[in-house]
Amino acid sequence: MKNIPYSKEHARFLRRRKQNLAVVWACRIGLLALLLGMWELVTALGWVDPFIMSSPSRIARTIASLYADGSLFYHIGVTLWETLAGFAVAVVLGFAVALALWWSETLRKVLEPYIVVLNALPKIALGPLIIIWFGTGSEAIVFMTVLVGIIVAILHMLSAFIATDPNKILLLKSMGASKAQILTKLVLPSSYPAVISMLKVNVGMAWIGSIMGEYIVSRAGLGYLIVYGGQVFKLDLVMSATFILCLLAAGMYALVVLLEKILVKNTER
Amino acid sequence: MKNILQFQDVTYIYHTVRGELVAAKDLTFSVDEGEFVAIIGPSGCGKTTLLSLAAGLMKPSEGTIESRGTFGYMLQKDELFPWRTIEKNIFLPLEVRHQKAPEQRERALGLARKYGLGDFLKSYPAQLSGGMRQRAALIRTLATNPDILLLDEPFSALDYQTRLNVCEDVAGIIRSEKKTALLITHDISEAISLADRVLVLTARPARVAHAHTLDFGDVPPLKRREAAGFSGWFERLWRELNA
Repeated sequence: MKNIPYSKEHARFLRRRKQNLAVVWACRIGLLALLLGMWELVTALGWVDPFIMSSPSRIARTIASLYADGSLFYHIGVTLWETLAGFAVAVVLGFAVALALWWSETLRKVLEPYIVVLNALPKIALGPLIIIWFGTGSEAIVFMTVLVGIIVAILHMLSAFIATDPNKILLLKSMGASKAQILTKLVLPSSYPAVISMLKVNVGMAWIGSIMGEYIVSRAGLGYLIVYGGQVFKLDLVMSATFILCLLAAGMYALVVLLEKILVKNTER
Repeated sequence: MKNILQFQDVTYIYHTVRGELVAAKDLTFSVDEGEFVAIIGPSGCGKTTLLSLAAGLMKPSEGTIESRGTFGYMLQKDELFPWRTIEKNIFLPLEVRHQKAPEQRERALGLARKYGLGDFLKSYPAQLSGGMRQRAALIRTLATNPDILLLDEPFSALDYQTRLNVCEDVAGIIRSEKKTALLITHDISEAISLADRVLVLTARPARVAHAHTLDFGDVPPLKRREAAGFSGWFERLWRELNA
């Protein structure tokens, strides 16, 4: 394709596409600048109380002072560790359980009502139990994160496994394939897009779990800063922690997207 | 000629929560070695059930099915795995059967090259036309050198033009590889243009209502469609099918 000289019309099409992309990005950044600018302006002019609303400059100062006293990366580290550990356990365990449920229809039928109830149950209701069982350290928060993510991982992967094309299964059976072969040669490779979408969903779930966990019980972390800031009416702290959280969540999502791009490139589909 | 597949008084009953359904009742027929047999029947008469029974994927409720030899199954759609290259797709049945000997792979590749897939071995299925994909599916079926080919309406997913060509193609490959084939179809003209013998099934529960030996010999499908006897057979089978 690359060796063929483009027609003028095609060159125009490519240029328009590029221009359109530039406009979208300019608007995105402009919108952010506008919002931050307005926020800064209305607080600086005293139209709204910066004590209640905080402001971009106060957030920057708060983050700088957290950095200066060395606690910034400590809190980020704590929350990040809890989130990643919970994410990893939920994804791996959820995948394994989904496999077991695909393998045995009887097991699937037996466990179905339990999974439905666990899925519907607001996990935060288990907060007091988790504190009593796991104490007030990071373990409790990791457990909460796993709890929030695992059911979603199980349901997501199971529905992908079950949706495997029955004609392709018939084809493999006619070749004399065993169940393990059907799994490795067909079910797993065809569930590959579902794995990526499950990872994307679970990034969000992991952050919900870890921050919710820190709300209930914690001595450190971004969720802790938010709760503590709220209790002592330091809205600058609440806003700063929230802002950092936005960056981290976006970063983690971007990593999954990057992983997807690398994997898709390798399989050349 | 020796018979290679024999259905004797085969009854098959489907069980569902709502009740049971007799798909086939006292079904008796046989296929000889090297023969191309087509089975036609009204829709929903359990044609696909019959192939699954022949392949041993389902056990008959009553009666016996005897077969000598191995099966290759070809479905309506090509069912090529999109994440595998054509070459890897063709190797799939060898992998499943743990037949890793290089001669077997070479034999499969030889078939692919012989029948015009040589340039596409490293391509993915999505890069091939429908006709080429179905041809790849046939080569995949032939990779393990099966004795009997079970063809479940293998052309019905193709458009008419491609269908005639692929039909011609597949018939040629099956004849030159001297395979026994059992074709299931609802398309009367397809059955006449391909088969040595045509069995007409009744509506459910399926039985063999009529059996005909066609007199075209080795004439390929497209030529058969032009042959003098073609329309006569078509009318006859049409009447029997709608009786």
